[in-house]
Amino acid sequence: MAHVVLKDLVKTYGNFKAVNEVSLTVNDGEFVALVGPSGCGKTTTLNLVAGLTSITSGDIVIGDRVVNDLDPKDRDIAMVFQNYALYPQKSVYMNLAFPLQMRKLPRHEIDRKVKEAARVLDMTQLLERRPRELSGGQQQRVALGRALVRDPAVFLMDEPLSNLDAKLRVQMRSEIKRFHQDLKATIIYVTHDQLEAVTMADRMAVMNGGYLQQYDSPARVFANPVNMFVASFVGSPAMSLIPLEASTANGDTVLTSAEGWSLGLSQRNARKVKGATTRKVVLGARHSTIRLHKSAVPGAIPAKAYTVEPTGDVTFVQAFLSGAIVNISVSPNIAVIPDEQIWLEFDQERMHLFDGETEMALEAD
Amino acid sequence: MSTIAETAPRNQARRRVRIDGWRWGGRAFLVFMLLYTALPMIWMLLTSIKSGFAAMQFPPQWWPDQPTLASYQKLLDPQNSVGQDFLRFFWNSLFVSTATTILSVVVAVPAAYAFSRFTFPGRNFLFFAVLLRNMFPAVIFLVPLFILMRAIGLVNTHGSLILTYLTFGLPLAIWLLKGFYDNIPVQLEQAARIDGATRFQAFILIVMPLSAPGIIATAIYSFIGAWNEYIYAYTFLSKNEQLTLPVGIQRFFSENTTDFPGLMAASFMMSVPVVVLFLVLQRYFVRALTEGAVKH
Repeated sequence: MAHVVLKDLVKTYGNFKAVNEVSLTVNDGEFVALVGPSGCGKTTTLNLVAGLTSITSGDIVIGDRVVNDLDPKDRDIAMVFQNYALYPQKSVYMNLAFPLQMRKLPRHEIDRKVKEAARVLDMTQLLERRPRELSGGQQQRVALGRALVRDPAVFLMDEPLSNLDAKLRVQMRSEIKRFHQDLKATIIYVTHDQLEAVTMADRMAVMNGGYLQQYDSPARVFANPVNMFVASFVGSPAMSLIPLEASTANGDTVLTSAEGWSLGLSQRNARKVKGATTRKVVLGARHSTIRLHKSAVPGAIPAKAYTVEPTGDVTFVQAFLSGAIVNISVSPNIAVIPDEQIWLEFDQERMHLFDGETEMALEAD
Repeated sequence: MSTIAETAPRNQARRRVRIDGWRWGGRAFLVFMLLYTALPMIWMLLTSIKSGFAAMQFPPQWWPDQPTLASYQKLLDPQNSVGQDFLRFFWNSLFVSTATTILSVVVAVPAAYAFSRFTFPGRNFLFFAVLLRNMFPAVIFLVPLFILMRAIGLVNTHGSLILTYLTFGLPLAIWLLKGFYDNIPVQLEQAARIDGATRFQAFILIVMPLSAPGIIATAIYSFIGAWNEYIYAYTFLSKNEQLTLPVGIQRFFSENTTDFPGLMAASFMMSVPVVVLFLVLQRYFVRALTEGAVKH
């Protein structure tokens, strides 16, 4: 196993910058998820690490070697593809054996390693089958087996779960996580599904438009998103982002809405707003940090319920505030009906404030 | 599952009743097409085993009274002058067609792969330029190509035919094979390269076996095209010992009489390689033409 360092990585296609000065370090044995919407450059970044795409500038270090100009085969990596990329003409056994044959291992050694990998992944009885005779989950497991049979320095995974049905995806998610825990493997995992990143990764790198937005543990990304993009991308349902205007009334800083209501701020939040260079402030709140009241409460904002979505454990209520959709989760035993008048109370400790122009999170000092 | 299994046959039965008319119409059409294609061939075969006299009788002998393989014996007898000619023509055709096939596969495989996998300046332009040749009727190029061949001294050589057949066969071979390579996920090669193969090894070990049906299909296509071609062979070659079969068979029409059984026997033997090729490899041919129609 080895660590991986990306330093000022750039990839351009003509005038289009697919990857823009991305720098990050993946520690030895760490599980890092590259996450972002489609076209954000995450897969390109992975292909750069794999050597399938040539870099425009920057450096990639795997272990202690700069691998910029090395062929994929010389980088000591293994990759799991979204469509598994199993060799259709080869049996499962030969699929697993291929990386070892390419490295010219003696035949008995290959046989031993293939059987060991098959045992670990519980597919000894499938070795003689062809990939097309396997179910999606089994194919996925063979792809994983082909990656681990060689004991590479780094595992690269490109959306390995997105071709599976929902139930199998959850099951394979825990299998891959377990696989990481058992092997202490260095894994770079690309996904567009923030839930996969949050649940599996030690650290997640959120990307957008070719730029690395934030690189931190899922808990910290969730708690302290650096900008509005990360705030809305991580977490489901998405964080509500309400555009407001900062003003001072009687020495207190308040946020006022074009709809006429205003929201008082705690001292800490007021300091954040005062530090901003613009009066446009966006209030961010996750569904669980907003309290819903059925009658007027001091400090609560009046709104109308728009839709009500019961999910069983929790009921999601949507409302409009200042033109933005606000998600609120309530206990299922609170009955809310659409178009009902409700009052929303924001948790000052857990609310997020963003600069309305730069979209960056406002800091207290 | 069980409900689907139970209701399915009933639905099918109801549908069968409704489209019966179409079904029988379709069958009748197929029978007609079968007769239309098979009868001439059957007649060819029957005539080839008649005697010269029986072939000329009217009303015709539907089934030869005295079937004989004399025509075949004559054609395959190296001592006989007819046999010498036929065997030489056969050999010439085989040589020209095989050389065309090998060359077109050797050129088309890397060309199609490059068109499918690499982006390079002028890629689209080149790809359509390749097809440009096939947008015109073949005869248009007959005289210009003849002049060209004369200029480079290739008239009356098999090389002139091989070169010409390549200009027909290659564009289609490249087009067909490119479709094949487009359908092979690029991730397979990427996986192979990560697994330790060079780009060339990935092509040879992973892509080539997968594209074998396409290569076989394009090879058949080139072979049949070259085997059957008449106009160019007729124009470029005038020496008797170089003729290919389609032109050479003409020799059976002599000034005084036409040896119909001999002609038919020669025609039959000329069809044999094509039919055998097709029967043995049709599986691949059909796959090539329908490749990519559905997700596997």
